[in-house]
Amino acid sequence: MALSGMRGLSVFISDIRNCHNKEQERLRVDKELGNIRTRFKNEKGLSPYEKKKYVWKMLYIYMLGYDVDFGHMETVSLISAPKYPEKQVGYIVTSCLLNENNDFLRMVINTVRNDIIGRNETYQCLALTMVGNIGGKEFSESLAPDVQKLLISSSCRPVVRKKAALCLLRLYRKNPDVVNIDGWSDRMAQLLDERDLGVLTSVMSLFVSLVSNNAEAYWNCLPKCVRILERMARNQDIPQEYTYYGIPSPWLQVLQRILMGTDVVKNVNKNNASHAVLFEALALVMHLDAEKEMMSQCVALLGKFIAVREPNIRYLGLENMSRMLLVTDVQDIIKRHQAQIITSLKDPDISIRRRALDLLYGMCDVTNAKEIVEELLQYLNTAEFAMREELSLKAAILAEKFAPDLSWYVDVILQLIDKAGDFVSDDIWYRVVQFVTNNEDLQPYAAAKAREYLDKPALHETMVKVSAYLLGEYGHLLARRPGCSPKELFAIINDKLPTVSYESYIDVEIQQRAVEYFELSRKGAALADVLAEMPKFPERESALLKKAEDAEVDTAEQSAIKLRSQQQTSSAIVVADQPPVNGSVPASNHLTLVKMPSQNITEESNVTYEEPPVEIPKENGAPVEVESKVENIPETNIESKVEPPAAHPASQADLLADLLGPLAIEGPPAAVEQNPVQGLETNQSPVGDLALATLEDQSNSVQIGLKAEWRAHHGRLVLFLGNKNTAPLLSVQALILPPSHLKTELSSVPDTVPPRAQVQIPLEVVNLRASRDVAVLDFSYTFGTSLVNVKLRLPVVLNKFLQPITLSPEEFFPQWKALNVQNLKVQEVVKGVKPLPLPEIASLFMSLHLAVAPGLDNNLNNLVACTTFFSETTRAMLCLVRIETDPQDRTQLRLTVASGDQYLTFELKEYIKEHLIDIPRVQAASPPVPVQPQLPPAAVPATYNDPGAMLAGLL
Amino acid sequence: MIQAVMVMSTQGKPRLLKFYSYQPPEKHQDLVRGVFQLLSARPDSVSNFVKVDAIFGPGAKLVYKHLATLYFVFVFDSSENELAVLDLVQVFVETLDRCFKNVCELDIVFNFNKLHTILDEMILGGQVIETSSEQIMRSVEEIARLEKQSNTTSLIPKSISERFSR
Repeated sequence: MALSGMRGLSVFISDIRNCHNKEQERLRVDKELGNIRTRFKNEKGLSPYEKKKYVWKMLYIYMLGYDVDFGHMETVSLISAPKYPEKQVGYIVTSCLLNENNDFLRMVINTVRNDIIGRNETYQCLALTMVGNIGGKEFSESLAPDVQKLLISSSCRPVVRKKAALCLLRLYRKNPDVVNIDGWSDRMAQLLDERDLGVLTSVMSLFVSLVSNNAEAYWNCLPKCVRILERMARNQDIPQEYTYYGIPSPWLQVLQRILMGTDVVKNVNKNNASHAVLFEALALVMHLDAEKEMMSQCVALLGKFIAVREPNIRYLGLENMSRMLLVTDVQDIIKRHQAQIITSLKDPDISIRRRALDLLYGMCDVTNAKEIVEELLQYLNTAEFAMREELSLKAAILAEKFAPDLSWYVDVILQLIDKAGDFVSDDIWYRVVQFVTNNEDLQPYAAAKAREYLDKPALHETMVKVSAYLLGEYGHLLARRPGCSPKELFAIINDKLPTVSYESYIDVEIQQRAVEYFELSRKGAALADVLAEMPKFPERESALLKKAEDAEVDTAEQSAIKLRSQQQTSSAIVVADQPPVNGSVPASNHLTLVKMPSQNITEESNVTYEEPPVEIPKENGAPVEVESKVENIPETNIESKVEPPAAHPASQADLLADLLGPLAIEGPPAAVEQNPVQGLETNQSPVGDLALATLEDQSNSVQIGLKAEWRAHHGRLVLFLGNKNTAPLLSVQALILPPSHLKTELSSVPDTVPPRAQVQIPLEVVNLRASRDVAVLDFSYTFGTSLVNVKLRLPVVLNKFLQPITLSPEEFFPQWKALNVQNLKVQEVVKGVKPLPLPEIASLFMSLHLAVAPGLDNNLNNLVACTTFFSETTRAMLCLVRIETDPQDRTQLRLTVASGDQYLTFELKEYIKEHLIDIPRVQAASPPVPVQPQLPPAAVPATYNDPGAMLAGLL
Repeated sequence: MIQAVMVMSTQGKPRLLKFYSYQPPEKHQDLVRGVFQLLSARPDSVSNFVKVDAIFGPGAKLVYKHLATLYFVFVFDSSENELAVLDLVQVFVETLDRCFKNVCELDIVFNFNKLHTILDEMILGGQVIETSSEQIMRSVEEIARLEKQSNTTSLIPKSISERFSR
């Protein structure tokens, strides 16, 4: 034996080996640790040999995975021992046990330095090794210059210098400042002349690291590197070299020789070194992006590699071929080896199978997708568990990316679900549903396929879901086929349902429904009654529709609209399509937004089911134009968004507009007021808001609608520009003049709105802070020869960013007290208030999104309300409002507003005040002035000064 | 850069652990277990390469040799060449063989301290320092000589002085 053993250590190790179980081992280890601890405590009686032995035992225990939280100091102190054996153990065990941040290292930094600058080579080696293994900033700062000196010293033996080189590398990695570039490029050049291979290997590692940080500075070393490589590559008598990484350019000659000189087939047997060189050479060829001929030579070589028996070479062949894919122009050459790569999918080595899968995935394109994906599917049958998820994901991605036709895509995904349902994520089957939904031609095929799978005795849950969905939507397309009547379809899907475990679904709501449905399905005969169609409602004619029916039907024109809208190519969505029959199906196939089944329902109802407000669908499906009696609406309707809804007759129209959606848009106020739905006025929070303006005279009618959705401090609005004329609107421009507290983003507006078409323009709004200023839409277009410019106030007002919140007395009062701070809570006596009974003030508050909290204030003449305000600066902020009225004098009251932000408090107070005070409203009372497009544009500027004016552009 | 060198038995018991990039001690056993599970599932006569991103982080690769009842495992990043590291494993094993004359698992179990000495002559701070088995042997023999020398010169006077002091 070359190295001396230690009896105590051997005994301990063999004791551990004789332990029959983990528990025994732990007892033995604990006993030993206790022993070492007591021995270390009384260091005096400890011989150096014993110290050494205990430190080794500690390292052994540490390796076994036990916590060794003492003895570090004793270990480190061994470094300072005078004799070699202790010093050696100290250095070795310290570098295993301690990390660079350990405080004990500071204790020995001087000893280490002395060992490095001392004359004892063996000590130098020990110190350099430990510093190189641990690294660390402090070592780096205090030792780097000494290590450098050793490296370039001509009197040092190679064994020291090679360690110095790597030690310096470690210090350099920790702190690049330790190497001063100016002096070092020359020194490096000198070091490259080194003849000792060990030193050269180490120096080269250091060199690679220096070059990768600053290639320019070491350019002068290049010729030497080439010479070294040439020496080694041409005269292959040197066994192992690592000296050729990543050094650029003029190596091409050498490389070509390596490539041609290595006869692959002959050298396969164990000649690792030369193959290692060869793979590095390949990497270099790729790095240099050499000419195509050389590249194809490389691919040909790799082609031979992936067919050899030696698994390591097959592995590297496949891996390097994957890398070659990044090189342009060689894909086609790689494809020639496709059959061999597919064979590698069946290799006994999972490492190789993974590389083959990566390579196939990377090389797949439209030309070979079918073949590759089908191979992957086949492989799925036999693939081990560990690979299935990756495999199915890759197959799904390839199928989607390169599908030659969609029915093939559907086939692939259904097969995937069938074979590896557990690994097919929801996203994948949603995607199929999406494709099928958007491609009418595909629907019968997909439905039929889904029906086929349902015949299988055992189905994966996902398969049940996807086929239930497909048959639910498109089952009717199969109705004439045998076994596909609605009843049979229902029966077969119903049979499979128990296999679907919605009852354990994470969402309680879904669980609840699942249990309900499940109970329902066990009702037996009664089920038929429950599931029977709803009986018809008694005939009751809608007042609105009655009005609508009076208008003319122009079907010929309708089809013309459809045709035109299909030719339209604006970036905004054009919906002038014929409205659908029942008014709840997506209006047209122009909608670019594609629904995923998982998307939430409120969004869906807001976006997809949006109908063009241009026409009103009638019950029988015949669209009706409503052109009558629009004169009075525009102003009042828009205003109603800004004014308190309860304060003005128009507000009812507005509220109804919210309730009824597009149906009410053009309904004249008279009709609305008669509507029995009025009782629903207190409805808290309508989903969307609508505003509408119609600019018209006899020949020119343009309709502007608005739809909005609010979430916290974000608003998503859609502007509808409807051209009701038979001629197009040209040079259409829309600008938002936002006040400073809003960030708005308006999508691009098409330059032209074709006749009888409607354009939708999305608008994003972000509320930055509280303010009562209003955003204005500056809208202009040319109609015929005249320029029309209007400014419309957008209903982006303070209360859109309020969300009512109900507080209990326990929550309210502490908050109310906490806000007793000047400016945060503000009180004001408001005079000249509209005399309103308290319930009406309450409903006014509701409409402002202030939640009235009854019972918080004992005085019946008072009213307390709470809400949350959202903006980018304040985030969600609680606001509290109190009103004290005087039953004797209803024209005055005391208003108190409190919030955590003084600006918010002020703005909210003023905002509420505005709605309480009765301001005579001249504008609303006056009839709107019809647009006079003939007027010269010069007349318009007068209105620019007052962006707040509504419809001010109507001169 | 080489990140770790592990020697473990085919039962999964660690025989030598050396990390060149810091790993918190509490993680060591997880790493050993992870590597062992991976390797024990691999049949003979397959390649010596495995990607171990899941165990050692992105880009990590592993080269191993299965000899008798031991796995020799080197973990490294993308800057190393797989075949070159495989050769290095071979050098390590050959050196052990020279050192212990037909090395077997027991030699390694009882001389894990010597394995550290040998490894330090081969790899420093994660970089290869010497690839020639003869060179390594020369260094190791010199260390052994130094050890013996100081043992003989230091132990005797020490034990005498101790005897006197009692």
